[in-house]
Amino acid sequence: MATKLGAYAGKVLKINLSDQTVSEYPITDDDRKKYLGGKILAARIIYDFIKGPIDPLSEENVIVVSTSPLNGTGSPSSSRFNVSAISPLTGILTSSNCGGTFGLSLKRAGYDAIIITGKSPSLTYLEITENGVKFNDASHLKNMLTGQAQQAIDGKSGKLVIGPAGENLVRYACAVSDDRAAGRGGIGAVMGSKNLKAITAYGVMQQPIYNADKLAKLKKKWTKRLKSHPLTGKQLPMLGTGALLSVMNQKNLLATKNFNTGKFEDFRKISGEEMAEKYLVKNNGCITCPIRCARVVNLDGKNIKGPEVEIMGLMGANILNNDLKKIIEWNYELDELGMDTISTAGTIAFAMELNEKGMWDCGLSFGKVDNITDTLKEIAYNTTEVGKKLAKGARELSKMFGGQEFCMQSKGMELSAYEPRAAVGQGLGYSVANRGGCHLNAGYAVVLEGLGLSVDPYTTRGKAQLAIMFQNLMEGASAGGSCLFTTYAFFPFFLMSKPNSIVTKLVNFLFPYFGPVIKIANKFPDILHLNLTSMLPHPVAITYATGMKYKMGDLMKAGSRGFNLERLINTKLGISQKDDKLPKRLTDEEQIKGDKRTKVPQEKLKRQFYKGRGWDENGMVKLSTLRYLGIDKLDDDPIYTRPLEEQGVVKVIAPKSIRKSIKKHIGS
Amino acid sequence: MVKVEFFGIYRLSYKMSSWEVDAHSISDLLKKLSKKFPVFTYKELKNSVIMVNDVNFLHLKKYKTKLCDGDSVFIMSPASGG
Repeated sequence: MATKLGAYAGKVLKINLSDQTVSEYPITDDDRKKYLGGKILAARIIYDFIKGPIDPLSEENVIVVSTSPLNGTGSPSSSRFNVSAISPLTGILTSSNCGGTFGLSLKRAGYDAIIITGKSPSLTYLEITENGVKFNDASHLKNMLTGQAQQAIDGKSGKLVIGPAGENLVRYACAVSDDRAAGRGGIGAVMGSKNLKAITAYGVMQQPIYNADKLAKLKKKWTKRLKSHPLTGKQLPMLGTGALLSVMNQKNLLATKNFNTGKFEDFRKISGEEMAEKYLVKNNGCITCPIRCARVVNLDGKNIKGPEVEIMGLMGANILNNDLKKIIEWNYELDELGMDTISTAGTIAFAMELNEKGMWDCGLSFGKVDNITDTLKEIAYNTTEVGKKLAKGARELSKMFGGQEFCMQSKGMELSAYEPRAAVGQGLGYSVANRGGCHLNAGYAVVLEGLGLSVDPYTTRGKAQLAIMFQNLMEGASAGGSCLFTTYAFFPFFLMSKPNSIVTKLVNFLFPYFGPVIKIANKFPDILHLNLTSMLPHPVAITYATGMKYKMGDLMKAGSRGFNLERLINTKLGISQKDDKLPKRLTDEEQIKGDKRTKVPQEKLKRQFYKGRGWDENGMVKLSTLRYLGIDKLDDDPIYTRPLEEQGVVKVIAPKSIRKSIKKHIGS
Repeated sequence: MVKVEFFGIYRLSYKMSSWEVDAHSISDLLKKLSKKFPVFTYKELKNSVIMVNDVNFLHLKKYKTKLCDGDSVFIMSPASGG
């Protein structure tokens, strides 16, 4: 076995589509300890391949599909896998996390990750099994919708497919596994540019667990906590993420009319409550997930996947549409066509405002919904001039027609549905997130600033530090294989279940003042050499699953390493402080006229963020930061130059007694 | 009459989106609500996020906040940010 750790498959494959060759890629256990898996491991791999800006739709681009140590261990909400590449939408690194079964199947086939390079001469699909990789002709799948394509591929395998949008190189095309999407950043277009219609994986391999008994006990407790937490145990299962929409509206957080305001008069008609009452059939979830936030809804007699809060907001309030049925229909259509819901919706809203201002006569108008369905098809199939232009994303439209100040994107990625002028920490996050205007990579500070807690949404105090802390936490949890919703349970129950108590009020008030303390922990996560198992079981689960001695600080440090590594890649691709910005509407115009607090004080927050991150004034990661994180000499050690034999010298870290337990487990 | 609107788990549990009641304060409203629809107790309702005419009642006089004819009250799930 190529790894001495539990829970890892121990093998990474490099697949060259150009010459149809497959080789093992020399990832070592030291790499696994430092980069865990998922998006961080993918960033480490991609780092070696990227020397400078590339055309993301050329064969130079590299796709890394990576699993994580907790995948396949049965830990709660741990079936997530990651797809990373250089994004055709932003020109920088993108990483998309997906809850479909593909990741689990890949691991069962015996691989922790696959690296896809080159370009196939004709449309192909890859079949990955324990026996290796087969290159199949995919001409019969051409132009198929994602659902059709998955059905057309036989077998019990996990599948990752693209739709017509990916084949036609829509810059925000996604890849779909079951009814889940690796949505953001145009992974589908990168697959399309490589003539790669689909990847399937199948196997029955079970990775050994380092300490199966302890992990089983922990999983039980962890599941119980998630089930009894007000957010993950009640709100998300009952209402899905759509539950947030009404709250967002009440707190001026619901992006409305291309982020002109944060409140929508007709929010009730497009809310999670409305969906639950009129359309919900049942809730659904990824494998091993006790939260089950996904919705199955009935649309004209057919049971389909329901929408998430982001598209409910962006295809509702943000385009002044109050027809929830239409949103459900578009959401389904977008998944089938294989397009990211957030970027599609953001691009359409921008086009509507361009039209309203007389800058582009595209036929799209706020409140007009009868031509949207056709527009989605025009984008996916590139059939009209308007569709072709929309397929390039909002930033490209602003280059063609102007309107940069109200083009709601950061680094080329359209913003999610949270209006940041009513949550300035979220605004900072959008501007500095590695993949662009992403609410999650931002640190999701809006959960503190209104959706979970009620920390003052307008103060700048402590916000940079809080954003950094949650960025690191989410990077670490994601790389470990957990759904980010599991980090919600990080907050003690009483803060969520008793919002009116004096203690909760005090915590909300004091949170920003914790900034200096959090700053130290962010800079030197090693000091968190402890585990608070009930709040953050992730590092404990990683320890029991793999045998690596992970503490809270190690998880945060791995997260910080991941975030900084992604930044390093982006700086190679030309990113600096000039790119960490929001459109002027959000930084210069008050959301509530006359209330000076209601705009994002971007420069001040950015300065605090750079200092907290250990970056210089130009937004470059300082050498001292790289050194602390152990990623200062990556250029001296490209993984692909290592001999495969190197894996043999990795020391076994498990004590003798535990090794016996692994052997016993394998034996059983 | 005061117009009460329910959001989150309250709307699903009460199986109604709004209700009209004659109440002179938030405390009075919650008591009447728990009595009329005993899905949640008064004590449980005290943990909901309450907005009076779009203002969080924590910024008013909490449970003692006076209500008048025509006022609008939102009752939202606890995990909605206080």
